[in-house]
Amino acid sequence: MNAIEVTTLTKHFGSLVAVNNVTFTVPKGEIFGYLGPNGAGKTTTIRILTGITAPTSGTATIFGHDIQREKLTARSSMGIVPETSNIYDDLSAWKNLMFSAELYHVRKSERESRATELLKTFEIYDRKDDKVHGFSKGMKRRLTIAMGLVNSPPLLFLDEPTSGLDVQSNLIIRQVIRDLNEQGVTVFLTTHNIEEANLMCHRVAIINRGIIAAIDSPERLKKTIQSVQAVELALEAMSADIIEALAHIPHVNDIRREGDKLRLYTEDPGSVVEAAMAYLREKHIRPISVNTLGPSLEEVFVRLTGLDKGRKNEKTVT
Amino acid sequence: MVYTLENLKNDLHGAWAITRKDLTIYYLKPNIYMSGILFPLFMLLAFAVGRNAPIITLIPGLIAITALFSASSIEPVSIPIERRTKTFDRLLSAPISIFALVLGESISGLLFSYSICILMLVAGAILYHLSLVSILILLVGIALSCFTFANLGTVFAAYPTENVGEVMSLLNLVRLPLIFISGVFIPLEAMPSWGRAVSAISPLTYASDILRYGFEGVTHVGLVTDIVMLLLFVIIFQLIGNLLYKKFNE
Ligand SMILES: Nc1ncnc2c1ncn2[C@@H]1O[C@H](COP(=O)(O)OP(=O)(O)OP(=O)(O)O)[C@@H](O)[C@H]1O
Ligand SMILES: [Mg+2]
Repeated sequence: MNAIEVTTLTKHFGSLVAVNNVTFTVPKGEIFGYLGPNGAGKTTTIRILTGITAPTSGTATIFGHDIQREKLTARSSMGIVPETSNIYDDLSAWKNLMFSAELYHVRKSERESRATELLKTFEIYDRKDDKVHGFSKGMKRRLTIAMGLVNSPPLLFLDEPTSGLDVQSNLIIRQVIRDLNEQGVTVFLTTHNIEEANLMCHRVAIINRGIIAAIDSPERLKKTIQSVQAVELALEAMSADIIEALAHIPHVNDIRREGDKLRLYTEDPGSVVEAAMAYLREKHIRPISVNTLGPSLEEVFVRLTGLDKGRKNEKTVT
Repeated sequence: MVYTLENLKNDLHGAWAITRKDLTIYYLKPNIYMSGILFPLFMLLAFAVGRNAPIITLIPGLIAITALFSASSIEPVSIPIERRTKTFDRLLSAPISIFALVLGESISGLLFSYSICILMLVAGAILYHLSLVSILILLVGIALSCFTFANLGTVFAAYPTENVGEVMSLLNLVRLPLIFISGVFIPLEAMPSWGRAVSAISPLTYASDILRYGFEGVTHVGLVTDIVMLLLFVIIFQLIGNLLYKKFNE
């Protein structure tokens, strides 16, 4: 049985189609990423899967239980971490966890040991009796995730778990997600951070304007656009003339300036390197470094979501 | 899906958790005291000064409108705030039914306002030399009244806004007129027949009537009618509350 099965799910808000005919399954034990830009429909999908919002059409099941018809059964096997850290500012971290445990019917004998364990895992145990009011953003986020785990759910929904956090919080959260997954917990996470999806997820669905553009493992998604390879040059000196000249090397489809480096996009990195080096030698410009790059998940994403429209014909950069 | 005994047990637990959470967080919020206690108190004093009525005759009415204003003030404050902080989504996404949510919210209004009204009752009991029977009737009558009005507050808080003021002004549109048609300020028998007809659909009529009976032994509509009508209002508000919370969260 799959952890999540979604069939032709659609959600309208008035004339806006926030989620458009989406179908996918998440097998048990997978970390499934839902990757998309702002307004893609990520949160709306999570709200439907957790039974907060009703879909306009289509169905979703959680471990075989329909989220609309068997809402409470479906929910008792999930943990939910919403986009906003929704904790009670006026309660202590401990009381927040106790409240969450009660809502999820965790037995009295287990509540306290579970809460202690979670607070330690998320490194907020020494602040457990402080009101959450004074917590940093990262601490609030960690507590929100702890509250989502209080019922030891076999399925965890995370809506942008690490968005806007510092390195320490990020590392803790990612490590917890990996550990949970090793213990068999299925994870559904949304993100607009491509690197996060690449690092964390077994499979990624790329969604844009409510439509899923592709679902596959990060590696296979990269392979689908093998043509996007690049030669990356760092030069001692850079000028519009040099960029112009490099852009006209045969097989260079596109040239972009990324920080202090130039990227020459091509299907034939070998010949481009040769031609570029010949040109540089002739002009007596010393390259500081030369790299060839495979396609990144970002490029797959940009391609599939059509976010590169308007950049297509950009052969030169100024 | 059938609603099992296990579901009911879980729902009651969930409701009770929500009640305790509400009481811990909101009993110290100043705007609840403003609109829940001070406001009815000042209104009554203003009225009493104009009438030169002895304070003692005002106690039943004072408790009745305090029950109305305090019981119906917690949810219209807490729920919009929780919508804004998104903690309301936590309640909506937990494995508890909407019934548990509506019940838990209403019980917190009941307990908050019951404790305030009981303080007033103690003061009243000293002035009135009440009998044991009437104290019993008063305790039950106040509880029923508080629960009815708490449910009223929960119903209004279903209005999907993050703005406390919006719910409060809607609610006051109903609460304020109720005072004048329910025999609190103007006795029922002094009202024209249309006024008495309107007062029959006001829960405050039955709340103030049962309290007057408890204190003074007089009733206009009858003790049994009072109790039945208040229970009926609880059920009606519960049903409307369940419908509205379901409807506004799709
Ligand atoms: N309750 C609502 N009423 C009307 N429109 C809504 C509602 N909720 C979401 N939308 C719209 O649906 C679309 C998808 O929103 P959603 O929040 O799912 O996006 P998202 O992928 O989570 O974006 P973000 O990365 O910004 O969180 C947006 O255009 C949004 O404005
Ligand atoms: Mg979102």
